[in-house]
Amino acid sequence: MKAYFTYFKLKFISGLQYRSAAWAGIATQFFFGFVYVMIYIAFYDSGGENLPMNIHQVITYLWLNQSLLALVNQFSKDQELFKMVKDGTISYELARPKNLYFMWYFKVLGQRLSNVVLRFFPLILVTSLLPKPYTFGGPSSLFNFLLFLISLTIGTLLVTALTVLYPIITLTTMSEKGIVNIMISIADILSGLVVPIPFFPLFLQKISKFLPFQYISDLPFRIYVGNVDILFGIHGIFIQTIWFIIIVFFGFSLMKKNLKRVVVQGG
Amino acid sequence: MKIYVKALGMHLKSELEYRVNFILSFLSQILVFFTYYFVILSLFTKFSHIKGFSLWEVLLCFSIIQFGFSFNEVFARGVDKFDELIIRGDFDLLLIRPRNILLQVLCSDSDFVKVSRIIQAIIVLILSIIHLDIQWNILKVFTLFLMLVSSCVIFFGIFLMAASYCFYTIQGLEVRNVFTDGGKQMAQYPIGVFQKGFVLFFTFIIPYAFVNYYPLLYLLGKKEQYYYGLSPLLVFLYLIPCIMMFYQGMKRYTSVGS
Amino acid sequence: MSFIEVKQISKTFRVAKKKSGLKEAIKSFFKREYLIVKAVEDVSFSIDEGEIVGYIGPNGAGKSTTIKILSGILNPDFGECKIAGMTPWKERVKYVKNIGVVFGQKSQLWWDIPAEDTFDLLRDIYEIPEEEYQSTKNDLIKKLNLEDIINIPVRQLSLGQRMRCEIAASLLHNPKILFLDEPTIGLDAVSKQLVRDFIKRLNHEKHTTIILTSHDMSDITTLAKRIILIGNGKVLYDGSLKKLKDQYETETTVYVKTKDKLDIRKKGILKKSKTKDGYQLLVQTKELSISKLLPLLSRKIEIEDIEIENESIDQIIVKLYEDYQI
Repeated sequence: MKAYFTYFKLKFISGLQYRSAAWAGIATQFFFGFVYVMIYIAFYDSGGENLPMNIHQVITYLWLNQSLLALVNQFSKDQELFKMVKDGTISYELARPKNLYFMWYFKVLGQRLSNVVLRFFPLILVTSLLPKPYTFGGPSSLFNFLLFLISLTIGTLLVTALTVLYPIITLTTMSEKGIVNIMISIADILSGLVVPIPFFPLFLQKISKFLPFQYISDLPFRIYVGNVDILFGIHGIFIQTIWFIIIVFFGFSLMKKNLKRVVVQGG
Repeated sequence: MKIYVKALGMHLKSELEYRVNFILSFLSQILVFFTYYFVILSLFTKFSHIKGFSLWEVLLCFSIIQFGFSFNEVFARGVDKFDELIIRGDFDLLLIRPRNILLQVLCSDSDFVKVSRIIQAIIVLILSIIHLDIQWNILKVFTLFLMLVSSCVIFFGIFLMAASYCFYTIQGLEVRNVFTDGGKQMAQYPIGVFQKGFVLFFTFIIPYAFVNYYPLLYLLGKKEQYYYGLSPLLVFLYLIPCIMMFYQGMKRYTSVGS
Repeated sequence: MSFIEVKQISKTFRVAKKKSGLKEAIKSFFKREYLIVKAVEDVSFSIDEGEIVGYIGPNGAGKSTTIKILSGILNPDFGECKIAGMTPWKERVKYVKNIGVVFGQKSQLWWDIPAEDTFDLLRDIYEIPEEEYQSTKNDLIKKLNLEDIINIPVRQLSLGQRMRCEIAASLLHNPKILFLDEPTIGLDAVSKQLVRDFIKRLNHEKHTTIILTSHDMSDITTLAKRIILIGNGKVLYDGSLKKLKDQYETETTVYVKTKDKLDIRKKGILKKSKTKDGYQLLVQTKELSISKLLPLLSRKIEIEDIEIENESIDQIIVKLYEDYQI
């Protein structure tokens, strides 16, 4: 267990080195967030019917999305793992007396947390100081906030498991272009990364109920802004946990299976 | 020109070396592109208009910006990826050739997969033109043409500016995403829906508004004055400082080194 | 005036100081401290048309900076440089038509397509007339043995094959001057030999002026008669390789195989020791040349076999670097 923690720590610390990238990331996210916020305000000003969230909830949701983007997105792939798979340096890793799946898992987790730590606080600080209606609002209640923390934690574990899955699939396809990239862009849409899920067309909302993606960030964000009732939130956290276990189990066994192939091929 | 066309051909040939990959990437780009207008489509299921612009009006705006951006990714990729050229040290190889540097930079890279985005942008453009009831006249056709060209020009200028920055340092280069991706994201909507300060900034500092807002107003008949239709011409002026900056940066590179 | 005339070239770089720690990082974000590094200082030399010059020095001595200046990539802070009547950094486009450059660590070939496609592009870039292009290309193909490899995507070539293609690509426009920056790095013995033979032949037949840097001293010894040694940005030695050898190659070990007992005492023999089947002598060649030693030995003993071990050029260079403290 200690070895896995060391992996986590190493990745976390080396991630903290990239400060100039982080500052640039903050600027970008702030700009993007601001653009989205203005677009929603413009839409809300123009009037609409049966809107699933009020404008303040939407804006807070958007800012949460931007400031936690490094944590909850799937498109920023862990290049190191993909490279390892493609150029065969994976054999080095196989030579180590630890389970490769969990080594990867903790690497990715460390990477994601260090990325988000550098970006989250400045963004949240600045956006809470913005004047109304642009401001990032507080949680709808203390209890909501606690639930938010729990579900964000599980969401993080879930998204890490999903991110580790992609290089594992690449073990069979040998290139992440194509299938894997297609999967990732679908996953990101269905996570609510581009549009909050309540704004989806109805049929898509129904589909995403049966998929793990909306439990990454959409659930915790909506708990925070108070867009779902407490019971629904607790129920969601329960499903989240189940998905997390399923994906880890799936990734773990898929890796075992795919590695056998790699060894047979002599890759 | 002959060299540029030849280099493009060679890039295509290189990419076709990995046929399966090429086709799959091409397909995945279609999906990635879809995520872009998914936002717009979704929001328009809940709202009927944004500050008076209908779905198809927004999509027209969107397709013009996407067209210009993707066009640059295919045909001016070398400028977009200029930082890599500097980091690899391959820029030195361009300096030992007896040709214009900017031309050689243009020749240095191309991403043909992004042709799929160009095609989609054109499809969206055609669909929105069909759905919109535009009172066409010769000037309006010309305006549409200018919008497409100026969209290519503005992204080229921004890429070129970012490339000039690479001559000094590549630290914090990610900021360019604010102006490229961020600008693209924003300019998918008619700039007028944004706050005043934004509109001013993107009119006078980075002239996105001349690409697809003022001419759009003319095209849709929201403004009658002909100079709205001709306003994309101003974007060409914007190229001048960008090109100057690039050559300034190059001068510095040859005197300071990498 | 010589073909290549370099006068008192100096070039300094500013390197940003990097300190660790968040505080320092923020500080340096606003105000950077720089170190001034003198890459080359007061470098002068002249080279005649048709010469092959080995340009040597340890890592970081200023070799590649000089090559970059000579090929028009960098301009110096001070100094003049006239090559074929032109100043490289002032008339870049006109000047670079006259030179070819091979960077051993970089590739000018397109990775995924056959080298011949790159050649065709270079023809257009250099505006080489078709007829001339064909004949130069065929000539290079023949001499560098490229028939079977120019139609294969470059990524599938071995390093040696690729380097041969790189050299060909640099010569398609028949440059008067060829800069070779570590052209044999990473190559196997056979490829190295092929490359060296070709360079020799090129110089001989076309009278191409060649400036060569390499860390492999056998490249230098087989190709260059003259070397320029640079260290800490300054020219430390400029002259024939032979003179340098004479100056530094002062001790030679001689192994003699014999059954007889050797009793020899002479000025110049520094050490004598018995080996399994003979003797080992350390000779100071300034005092006693080998040609004098041999008759001396054969008079005293019956020599079954003799082996003379010269100091390798690498050892000489190490000594040289030590002497100059670089």
